[in-house]
Amino acid sequence: MSDARNPVGRWITLPILASFAVFGTLPYWVEAVGLYQYLGLEIMVWVIFALGYNLLLGYGGLPSFGHGAFIGIGAYAFGVAQFHFIPNLWICLLAAIIITGLCGLAAALLVSRRRGIYFALMTIAIGQVFFFIASKWTSVTGGEDGLLNIQRLPVDFGLFSIDIQDTASLYYLAFALYAVVVVLLWRLVHSPFGRILGAIRQNEERVRFLGYNVFIYKAIAFILSTMVAGLAGGLFAMAQEGAYIQIMNLQWSGTVVLMTLIGGGLVSFWGPVFGVVLYFIARDILGAYTEAWLLWFGLMFMLLVMFKPEGLAGIWRDTVGGLVRRKPAAAPSPHPNQSPAE
Amino acid sequence: MSTATWLLPHLINGVALGLLFALIALGFMLIIGVMEVINLAHGSIFALGAYVALAIMAPDGGLPFAFMEPFYALPAWPRYAIALVVAPILVGAACMLLELCLRPTYGKDPLYGLLLTFGAALVIEEMIRVVWGSSEYYLPIPRDISGGFIFADLIYSTYRIYAAIFACAMIALLWFFLNRTPYGAVIKAGAHDNEMVRALGFNLSRLRLLVFAFGAGLAAIAGIIMAPIWGVRPVVGIDAVIPAFVIIVLGGVGSFWGAVTAGVLVGLAVALTAAFVPDWSMISMYLLLLAVVTFRPRGIAGRASILER
Repeated sequence: MSDARNPVGRWITLPILASFAVFGTLPYWVEAVGLYQYLGLEIMVWVIFALGYNLLLGYGGLPSFGHGAFIGIGAYAFGVAQFHFIPNLWICLLAAIIITGLCGLAAALLVSRRRGIYFALMTIAIGQVFFFIASKWTSVTGGEDGLLNIQRLPVDFGLFSIDIQDTASLYYLAFALYAVVVVLLWRLVHSPFGRILGAIRQNEERVRFLGYNVFIYKAIAFILSTMVAGLAGGLFAMAQEGAYIQIMNLQWSGTVVLMTLIGGGLVSFWGPVFGVVLYFIARDILGAYTEAWLLWFGLMFMLLVMFKPEGLAGIWRDTVGGLVRRKPAAAPSPHPNQSPAE
Repeated sequence: MSTATWLLPHLINGVALGLLFALIALGFMLIIGVMEVINLAHGSIFALGAYVALAIMAPDGGLPFAFMEPFYALPAWPRYAIALVVAPILVGAACMLLELCLRPTYGKDPLYGLLLTFGAALVIEEMIRVVWGSSEYYLPIPRDISGGFIFADLIYSTYRIYAAIFACAMIALLWFFLNRTPYGAVIKAGAHDNEMVRALGFNLSRLRLLVFAFGAGLAAIAGIIMAPIWGVRPVVGIDAVIPAFVIIVLGGVGSFWGAVTAGVLVGLAVALTAAFVPDWSMISMYLLLLAVVTFRPRGIAGRASILER
């Protein structure tokens, strides 16, 4: 599988560079196409979150319906670290990642023996428990009001530091972190770990009989995805200049599933990216015409699940991929149990 | 006054709440059984039931059609009784459309059914917002079952006692329907082995359509009964579907009495925490769920099921 021409096994591939080219230049053209800087930042934060989430859903086949809780915990942890410890960007982001990861560890211990719908139900319950704790633990989270006045901390490199008060600069911080996350995740899903995760998705029993500790693999995937969510949460806290409880409710947990699916996270590494971009652009464009944009978005989602469960990435593959296909024998089958390829 | 008597009204509230939760969960379970679909839209259907009843009953929030005018002039009892019968039928019929949408997902990963109904939940909730707006309504109820009464120095809510009795009657009827009629036998057989039911010459597609409508109708009835307790808001669906989930997992999939027991347990847990630590009332059922499922993965009376695939 790892000959030199095969993208699998490399650190940087063409699609990764393409995504860098698009997102790296975004602040320069986003206003020209009628959108605004903050939208780019929002998209970047959610892309990071959804890519981490897809490690669980797309590669592990584990439908977590409580992941909104973890981006929320990341945001609160970032705020609390900033207010009560050291207002240093790296330390606060690290605190967001570690604290979210620890909460993820606690959740993983409870859910990693489950799969399928039971897994979904357990993660709903855990997500709700975190939601209620956050909404009642007023001294730390500010309860219903949220944590206000979270600062956009300067990017400190010791010798010099860069101010990221304006949205475009903060966007570039998010973009830099996206670059790191995307490369690491790409490498991870094509590593032996990713292979085993994909095998667990296809047939958990068989992987267990082969002697792998399925529990550990599922738990690690869960914890890693919550750590990525924590990072996204830290960025989100800076973007919003606050951390609020709404992000942790069930609706947002469902929304990240919806974004990942609509983009085609089940068949493609890039699915979550497509999905997030589509969601936010639909929100802004449909939202400009009608208050009930979620109605149309929901209908679109239903049609997609009915007729094209592989999502946007599946449509892309069938149209564009069909035109420029070089090796027809390697064309992936649309079977839903197949792991995302590229 | 001893603690036990002081608790009595809370216990009655808990039982009423629990029986209504059980009613929602039973409809939910029928759909899981026959269609192997986790219907995330069940809560939105519950809310829709309350809104449709509101439209039938009240000039405020009601239908703006002229032909409804003489109907609105009727006394409260007949209007309430008609709404209680007609609204679930309308909702059940409308939900047949959702079952038709679900058909492409049959036989695939259960995740697809779950996702489709998640989309449907969004759509139904937004439709409610478009038609009725986001503000809260109260379903008018006949005076005989509203208000409260005092018994041995304690205030009891009449409506909650009515709700508990009504839910009990519905659960008993449902049990009778499933276990003592030929229709119930076909439904139970469909939950046990779809292919065999088809092989015996029953129209499986029609069975699924009717069972889905029936389950949705049960949710709508529960929505109407719950409306005076919770108020009628678009987001009320989530408060209904989550307890249904919890009850199914707690009671065990496929077990009628498991669901009823779990329903009452959840209702009591919610009502008792509400009595002592009101802030934490909703979290108690999740903790109950996590505790039970950690030690008894299939719940109180569960068997192997679709949920584990």
